[in-house]
Amino acid sequence: MMEQPLLSVRHLSIGLSRQGTQLPVLNDVSFDVAPGEVLGVVGESGAGKSVAGAAIIDLLVPPLRRTAGEIALRGDRLDLMSPRQMHRVRGKRVGFIFQDPMTSLNPVLSIGKQLKDTMRTHLRLGSSELHGRALDWVTRVGLPNPERILKAAPHELSGGQRQRIVIALALCAEPEIVIADEPTTALDVSVQAQMLDLMRLLHKETGTAMVLITHDLGVVAKMADRVAVFYAGRLIEIASTRALFQSPRHPYTAGLIGATPAPDGQGGMQVVAIPGAMPGVDALPPGCAFHPRCPRAQADCRTVVPPLVVLGTGEAACLHPLPERTAA
Amino acid sequence: MIVARSLFSTFRSAPGATLATLAIAALFAYAFLVPLFTADPFQLAGMSIMDSFTPPLWMDGGNPAFPLGADDQGRNIITAMAYGLRTSIVVGVSAVLIGLVLGGALGLLAGFVGGRTDAVIMRIADVQLAYPALLLAMVIDGIATAVVGRERSATLAIAIVIFAIGIAFWVQFARTIRSSVLVERDQDYVAAAQITGRSKLAIVMWHILPNVMAPVLVIATINLGIAIITEATLSFLGIGIPLTHPSLGALIRNGNAFLQSGEWWISAWPCLVLVVLVIAVNVLGDHLRDHFNPKLRGRS
Amino acid sequence: MKLEGVDVKAVSKTFGGKAGAFERLLGRTPRGLRAVRDVSFSISRGEVLGLVGESGCGKSTLARVIGGLLEPTGGDIAFRGVKPRLQMVFQDPFSSLNGRWRVDDIIAEPIRTHRLRPKGEVAGRVAELLEQVGLSPADGVKYPQAFSGGQRQRISIARALAGEPDFLILDEPTSALDVSVQAQILNLLRDLQSRLGLTSLFITHNLSVVRLMADRVGVMYLGELVELASADDIFTNPKHPYTRLLIDAAPDLDPIDRTLHPIPGELPDPSRPPSGCSFRTRCPYAQPLCAETPPPLRWEAAREVRCHFDLTPKSLSVPA
Repeated sequence: MMEQPLLSVRHLSIGLSRQGTQLPVLNDVSFDVAPGEVLGVVGESGAGKSVAGAAIIDLLVPPLRRTAGEIALRGDRLDLMSPRQMHRVRGKRVGFIFQDPMTSLNPVLSIGKQLKDTMRTHLRLGSSELHGRALDWVTRVGLPNPERILKAAPHELSGGQRQRIVIALALCAEPEIVIADEPTTALDVSVQAQMLDLMRLLHKETGTAMVLITHDLGVVAKMADRVAVFYAGRLIEIASTRALFQSPRHPYTAGLIGATPAPDGQGGMQVVAIPGAMPGVDALPPGCAFHPRCPRAQADCRTVVPPLVVLGTGEAACLHPLPERTAA
Repeated sequence: MIVARSLFSTFRSAPGATLATLAIAALFAYAFLVPLFTADPFQLAGMSIMDSFTPPLWMDGGNPAFPLGADDQGRNIITAMAYGLRTSIVVGVSAVLIGLVLGGALGLLAGFVGGRTDAVIMRIADVQLAYPALLLAMVIDGIATAVVGRERSATLAIAIVIFAIGIAFWVQFARTIRSSVLVERDQDYVAAAQITGRSKLAIVMWHILPNVMAPVLVIATINLGIAIITEATLSFLGIGIPLTHPSLGALIRNGNAFLQSGEWWISAWPCLVLVVLVIAVNVLGDHLRDHFNPKLRGRS
Repeated sequence: MKLEGVDVKAVSKTFGGKAGAFERLLGRTPRGLRAVRDVSFSISRGEVLGLVGESGCGKSTLARVIGGLLEPTGGDIAFRGVKPRLQMVFQDPFSSLNGRWRVDDIIAEPIRTHRLRPKGEVAGRVAELLEQVGLSPADGVKYPQAFSGGQRQRISIARALAGEPDFLILDEPTSALDVSVQAQILNLLRDLQSRLGLTSLFITHNLSVVRLMADRVGVMYLGELVELASADDIFTNPKHPYTRLLIDAAPDLDPIDRTLHPIPGELPDPSRPPSGCSFRTRCPYAQPLCAETPPPLRWEAAREVRCHFDLTPKSLSVPA
């Protein structure tokens, strides 16, 4: 489908060791990210989307462990790298943005020091050049008075300002791809839109590809080129953003869209709930994990685990997918 | 209760705590069962001068009737220690309970009422912390004895010792409970009970108290070890409990006089029992602390 | 006698701002945080009033003042008719249930406190409530730890209903939940609302949720009520610039029109609100007048707006 993916994830599985057994937190997940592409990853808490992001940059914390799979960045196998080699990849080739800006910022170092340290580690720059670049980044992420910001400690900035600095930190070493895990979830609506706007602007300027992990369908609708939907540790649908929202093929994707309150077209609002709840990794049903909640489930769904197959322009893991809906 | 059930399940992964629990159970059984079947060796009838200084069984002159030997008055060490251990345990547990009830009430009051009440209670606690518990117990015991007079009954003397040690312990309970209450009272379940219209007393007793019991249990266990040692120290110094109801500390003090002349067993056995008891209690306390600390839980 | 309505009259709540011993010595008065500033509205019987705003706007503080959990520093809350029974559903499904209590005892607490049922009927009533919120009566013997966030929120709702409240306060009841679980809880609440006709205050930061749930909606900014109107009017014809911008700022699910509408600037420090209109530092239409005079609350038919100007909504978009 794509020529030369930038990031290629193949058959990635992640286990949670508990009392000698391995629980499948992520099960046989494969996807690609093209250069310059924004891949949205959505799912509910516990679906496995965040661990997938952490696995790419080898930041899984025990008892979580990668049990199978290959991860390649421009053909370089990240999964085979030593911790030292991985350390050089992290930050330099793969940037990351987390939900809580305080976990990405060192509370006792000034903003300027942190920006310069990141660039010094990964780019060959002289100290005067470093300062100029740091100033430039503070301006680029839309903060006023850059000289003062460089001298400030993280706690002297507001939440929105801190998240802007985290974005600058993720991008300042000119990575090839950025993993953003719930980058706007902790922010208010008005600031969230600012941050998305900024990420979009910088994405246009730098051409950096991005994996945008979020539970917010609105965020992916506005930001992503393609969207991957996770459910109970599996990738169940992946398609272009437009195709996914206009014609979801997996009943869960359709259910997730329907569960978001939206105008019903007659001046009112509607919300359609999916019955039941997502099973935990320790209580996965046999067959398709979604079958107990699925309105389209049939007998075979209880026994066969559906593989991800090409459907129209995207792929879905469903034995009885929804028919393609043509745009009105 | 769920706490107890999950607690027992963690014993499997903590052999030290299991061993400690077994040791405590065995010592308690020893202390409370042996006196049921034997005459009190500290009454005149229980002594036999003929058997005094009998060494333990495996030494020259040992007597099968006195497996661990006999003391200067011819008391069987095994029996004497059971009585001594019983006194030690009764005093230790009662003292901790007094500290718990007093400190618990004051801690709840300080945490939930706050303001001036809180300030007064906590300043008193700060002042008391400046004095070592042992010194405080000695002072209180001295004052109480002076008030009651020398001609006190044995029961009253024991009560005074219990009270003196218990008073020294309330501060730690009060501080722990207060800080837990400060966390719990801002939880939404407390707000829900307030909106429902429950009284402040009901909220403290039924909602907050059960949620602050876990750290209290830990402190109570650890303090039990300290209380037993404190009592032993007082008795060793000859303050407090009368010789007609000796504790382990009094037995050690008694045997101490004969260490130089080679009759080591009179003080060594009570020493050993005291050490085992206190170590076991502390190991259990540590285990409880780890068990109730969510940050440590789940770590192997 | 029934509750006829709730009147919130000029309520203010300031945190801090009282001089302690040290400040008195220095002759200083610390600046208080004015979380709620002079808010007035009424809720009539059977109505759901929604309050929206971003974090720090004072909506949750106001909820706690109305619920009697906090004392207002100014104004008062009047309940028309009787002294009402109140209940509240909280945002955090974990801290709102006492983990040492069994679920049936949690739900029975309001029944026992108000003696709403004879002793022998309490267990039956609890079972009925558990079923009403979509749980099984057998769940009553479990402790809250055995339940997911969505199920815990159902237990919270059952507890609130158990108190047979005249007035129900819902403070971000679905904000901690995933979208599919949120949808279930919202449908449950809508169903209960239509069957029981509860008088309630629904607080959320989510505009779609408030539109779904509320009859009338109040919009708060920096402790003030800036607009109050029927849900339809607020969303189809907002009159305050902040309302308009807030509606546009939330990304919808349309993958074709991908324009983002951020509100410029950030929330000012609530302990130092701007002079004049509190929104003027972020308002694209601010005039010199806005910095000088605080706009009064203007009445317009059944709507209240705190703005000097009339907004013509159709032409409105954020200047680049």
